[in-house]
Amino acid sequence: MNIEQTLQRAEGLLTSWNKEATHPESNRLDVVVSDSDLRPAVTALQNGGWGYLSAITGMDLGPDANQMEALYHFCDGPAITTLRIRLPRTGVATLPTIEDIIPPATFFEREIHEMLGFQITGAKSNERLFISDDWPEDVFPLRSDFSIEQAKPVEGRHADELPEEGVVGGNTFVVPIGPQHPALKEPGHFEFTVDGEVVTAARMRLGYAHRGIEKAAESRNWIQNLYLFERICGICSHTHAMAYSQGAEKLAQVEAPARAQAIRELVAGLERIHSHLLWLGVVAHEAGFDTLFMYSWRDRETVMNLLEQVTGNRVNYSANVLGGVKCDIGSEQAKAIKEGINFLESRIRHYLEVVTTDTMFLNRTRGVGTISFEEAERFGLLGPTARASGLVRDVRVEAPYGAYSRFPISAVTETNGDLEARCVVRLKELLVSCFAIRTIVDNLPEGPLATKMPRKIPAGETISRVEAPRGELFYYIKSNGGENPARVHIRTPSLCNWVSVLEKAVGRQLADAPMLIAGMDPCFSCNDRMITTVDQRGSRQTWSWKQLREHGIESYKK
Amino acid sequence: MNALTSLLSLLIFPAGLTLVLTGMFYEWVDRKLVARFQNRVGPRWFQPFADMVKLLAKEQILPKVANPFLFFGLPMIAVTGALTAALYVPLVGFAPVSSFAGDLIVTIYLLSLLTLCMGLAGWNTSSRFSLVGATRALTQLFAYEAPFLLALLGPALAAGSWQISVINDYARTHWFAISQPIGFIVVLIGLMGKLELPPFDSPEAETEIVAGALTEYSGRGLALFKIGKSIELIVGITLVSAFYLGGLHGVLPFLAKTLAVLFLMSILQTLLTRLRIDQTVGMWWRFGSILVLAQILLTILLRGGIL
Repeated sequence: MNIEQTLQRAEGLLTSWNKEATHPESNRLDVVVSDSDLRPAVTALQNGGWGYLSAITGMDLGPDANQMEALYHFCDGPAITTLRIRLPRTGVATLPTIEDIIPPATFFEREIHEMLGFQITGAKSNERLFISDDWPEDVFPLRSDFSIEQAKPVEGRHADELPEEGVVGGNTFVVPIGPQHPALKEPGHFEFTVDGEVVTAARMRLGYAHRGIEKAAESRNWIQNLYLFERICGICSHTHAMAYSQGAEKLAQVEAPARAQAIRELVAGLERIHSHLLWLGVVAHEAGFDTLFMYSWRDRETVMNLLEQVTGNRVNYSANVLGGVKCDIGSEQAKAIKEGINFLESRIRHYLEVVTTDTMFLNRTRGVGTISFEEAERFGLLGPTARASGLVRDVRVEAPYGAYSRFPISAVTETNGDLEARCVVRLKELLVSCFAIRTIVDNLPEGPLATKMPRKIPAGETISRVEAPRGELFYYIKSNGGENPARVHIRTPSLCNWVSVLEKAVGRQLADAPMLIAGMDPCFSCNDRMITTVDQRGSRQTWSWKQLREHGIESYKK
Repeated sequence: MNALTSLLSLLIFPAGLTLVLTGMFYEWVDRKLVARFQNRVGPRWFQPFADMVKLLAKEQILPKVANPFLFFGLPMIAVTGALTAALYVPLVGFAPVSSFAGDLIVTIYLLSLLTLCMGLAGWNTSSRFSLVGATRALTQLFAYEAPFLLALLGPALAAGSWQISVINDYARTHWFAISQPIGFIVVLIGLMGKLELPPFDSPEAETEIVAGALTEYSGRGLALFKIGKSIELIVGITLVSAFYLGGLHGVLPFLAKTLAVLFLMSILQTLLTRLRIDQTVGMWWRFGSILVLAQILLTILLRGGIL
């Protein structure tokens, strides 16, 4: 079925609630529905087997338009259907929950509730997920009239549901993992209620290092934002920059040259190797197999060095510019890349053998956290976590972007859906990436590296999807025709995969919990984007960008 | 005069100070070997000693809910137990300082005292991590203790004595590692369990429960537990090599044999993934104890001349 037919089918499914349908881009259908029709419309798409819910974008169109918008984006291959709900800005914008129809929607709904003040009726939990506990009530950072003065911390406001201290009763008590814990080097908080060794309940809390990047983007111009988004994540910085520049280029109707697109795919491939080898080390460490951890991280150095040779940077590669890339592959780099990839390929084959044959390691991975195909679909999993359960969710294959149609990638899937399958999928994917990188180096198209981009980008909105190492990365970008984007909404893959941890930890041993968390390759920097610092005296303070910048300059002077 | 020699042997040589320093040296060898196997640089030779000095100098924090007598007393009991156990084994290849019929059983139980103290300490500090750690440490104790003891009984049965020095002398002419290979494997792995080395380190699995039973310990208490651990390391290795590797007579054979055992243990530590606590218990009762029982049965039958 081609894109048009797919979109027609969606339009057919939605006819009864369709108030106004448009095709903003060739692969998109935009349907306006009223808030009371949301649940039946979502159910119709769900029952019709049309794609999956990819993200919910909330927007405040400002006092002049006096409107709030909530966009429910569904993706089916390359086709995207957006359900658009318009609500008046005055009064409380209320939306019915859809978490009972689509479980991962709970995270998206809580995000638009906390950031924009949409009231979600019928939701099971309204406890805060992203915003800090002492953030004042009824202050919403992504509202257009928000000012930093409103964000005075509230004294004495605690978490919505404080965990009871110590022993809960009988043999059960809560084992907290994070935000500071040796199992997680990143700030997330999980509470596992355990009865002896068995986990009976699981909760989570994010946002310990929320940086407010989406808000910050609104006050920066198009070019500055490229560098801002690159800093969302240290591991997949390239995919963020790639998704953003692709989106901006689509809006400006500029196409990056073929050579630039090939180099983008090449760097993405190297980045994937970097990310997955890092992940393999983390999982091995969680399992208590430190030898594998040390070895995989040693080999990761090779790919970091390659990235440094190509882009000049080891972490935030900064390979992209709007309209193309800024680093070229010369004969010297090509040689180094080939040598490095040959070495890495032999190492990856070795690790593949280790994770599938080492009995002691298999003890901790085989049959642990098994997610069936149906569950993967229901939880809305993405990336390697979904592919390990046999569900093909790979934007590179489903909706090839950039150079991926010229240098295609084959999707790697496994059927078991346990931790072993997740290891195997990720490592096999690296072999595919190695092959692709070699092909690109050999067949690099000639031509310029970048096309000129205008400083102001015409009004419009677009969706840019890119396959990050952890799964589909979703960017919604809206321009009002100015120098700054009007709204950029980012949905990172980690957010969608959390359900798999919370659902699967219950009933299993406590020892498996860190393995399950690590198994989906969580990226906290993806999820946390506002800065709240806690000083040593314990008083909290939200810093403005200016203060933070001054603080940074001061502290480096010392 | 007699009292003075006893005191000297207890405090300076072969027990006491020498033992603590040798224990640290062996700990360093183990850490360095594992590090080299894992492609790391590893600690410098004085690192365990430096750690100890630092810990001994640091403040000790008493949790509000903990019983202070137990909190401060338990580390001391643990070290005392380990030091006392050292009196009955042929340290540095010399005859044991003290010896009586049946000292094997006493030694093994003195060695378990450390684990018991750690379990109690974890329960006493009542942090969630230390509670889980303590439960795991004690559960694991019940798993490996019986097979470990039975594996040591193999040579004892063959030598016809429960006295360590007698078995040590008997072993001079009998390499039990060759005649009782199953027992040797079980005792080696049992020792790793006793020392909570990987793959049996789930009681202190840092990725789940931070530092396990000792999470709330700091300063002197932690240092004493660590000293107890390194003494237990050396006593355990001595016991195993005296029984299974042709006895320990003289300094050089002592060093060669104990370091060989340590080398084997560090290879195993490098190669194996941590077991979950249910897997540990399952492994010991399903395989360890049955294997070692078969070995003992075989030994008895051979000795009785039935086979």
